[in-house]
Amino acid sequence: MANLRDASDKALKLLRTLPRVQIGNLRPNPNSKKPDKRGRAQHGGDKHGAGNKGSGQRQNFMRLGYETGNQPFYLRFPYEPYYKGHHMRRQYPPLSLLQLQVLIDTNRIDISQPVDITTLCNSGLLTLKPAEMEYGFQLTDEGLDNFKAKINIEVQHASEAVIAAVERNGGVIRTAYYDPRSLHILKNPKKWFEKGIPIPQRMLPPQDAIEYYTDAKNRGYLANPEEISKERLVLAQKYGYELPKIEEDASYEMLTAAKDARQLFLGLEPGWLINLVDKTIIKAKTT
Amino acid sequence: MNKITRAFISVLRQSNTSYSSVALLGRQLSYKSDISLDKIYPNARLQLYTPPPPASTGDKFNGFIPKDKLEVTYSRSSGPGGQHVNTVNTKVDVRFKLAEAEWIPQQTREKLLKALANKVTKEGYYFIKSDLTRSQQLNLADALEKLRTVIRAQEFESAAPSEETLEKVRRRQEKAARQRLQLKRERAQVKADRQAPGGIDL
Repeated sequence: MANLRDASDKALKLLRTLPRVQIGNLRPNPNSKKPDKRGRAQHGGDKHGAGNKGSGQRQNFMRLGYETGNQPFYLRFPYEPYYKGHHMRRQYPPLSLLQLQVLIDTNRIDISQPVDITTLCNSGLLTLKPAEMEYGFQLTDEGLDNFKAKINIEVQHASEAVIAAVERNGGVIRTAYYDPRSLHILKNPKKWFEKGIPIPQRMLPPQDAIEYYTDAKNRGYLANPEEISKERLVLAQKYGYELPKIEEDASYEMLTAAKDARQLFLGLEPGWLINLVDKTIIKAKTT
Repeated sequence: MNKITRAFISVLRQSNTSYSSVALLGRQLSYKSDISLDKIYPNARLQLYTPPPPASTGDKFNGFIPKDKLEVTYSRSSGPGGQHVNTVNTKVDVRFKLAEAEWIPQQTREKLLKALANKVTKEGYYFIKSDLTRSQQLNLADALEKLRTVIRAQEFESAAPSEETLEKVRRRQEKAARQRLQLKRERAQVKADRQAPGGIDL
């Protein structure tokens, strides 16, 4: 670092004594400009880069892509739907169990409260771009064996092994859907509240996602809670752990706290207007 | 306002940070929208609970394995994998005393003892090992799945052959016997023709 400072000081000193920069004083870096090859003399002349005889020298080229009669490659395939609609597909940026454990161990996330998108985005280490078809986080199974936190977490997608890992430690995991507008609100609630718009309600999932979120196996937020309780036992038997008695847990209330299907924030209802300046909530009158 | 009242009020104020549960002093009422869970599933038990293990119904194995009756040990797996396979205990060994496994129905247990007689150790342990995946938990799931498959294989009653099949088999056996006897007769005739004719009354 000191070296650079000396060099820059030297350069500035030089600049003070050198003559003014003018077109006549400038010169390109050595070997940056190749000399033009004119069509004259030994190297540019004679055949002028067109080779010997043939269609090349006679400038009678076949059209680009022509394969001397057989169906050209660019005309062989009438339809290639590999990426059809890919720009409209829902994306769920991954969050591994390893990352989650590290976030918890380094106190980036408070696990004495339910964890959702807002908690994860507020940590400052994770971002969500709803405008780029990102519909929330998916919890991946990297770090499955070493996950040891008891949390109430709500993500948008989780595989069976991940659900088992969370429930093994006495935690609760739910998968919930948020439409892009709700996601935008959730990822930075403070900025949204400053707009002065009442909290909207969360929309239902689209047709192709309803099945996922109404399935107890995926711990969907629209699934039957009784089925979820039964599935917890099934998963405990499948993965070979003793299902912890969650009713006897001291933080049972916190662990089972779940948002309503239309709710964005726990404790706040859709239709309420949050006034951050006066620290008040304006609710609609019930008529 | 005395100290006790002030403390009580501060406790109530703190308890306001509780969530959508009706339990707390009846003050906080949870928000219920048009599609709240109690409307979609009116007869369901909405609070999370731990269901009891399914009762074993005499004859058939219901799939429930009590974890405390199994002895699970972990060790390092074999095969390639560098530092991960060298240092992490991903291999799972699940063992239990087959004769004393009360969670397997009596009939199935006897069948298993007969079928797995050569696989049970001197002390009477039957074990299953798994190092299928890179994860200990997934290997444990695999070991338990293998165990359940072994138990269920003993309970599987293969269908008895149908009457048509039995009839076909009987006809085949009879045909084979007929052909064998015919061949014998032919060979005997050939051998007899090689001899000089005996004293036959012409």
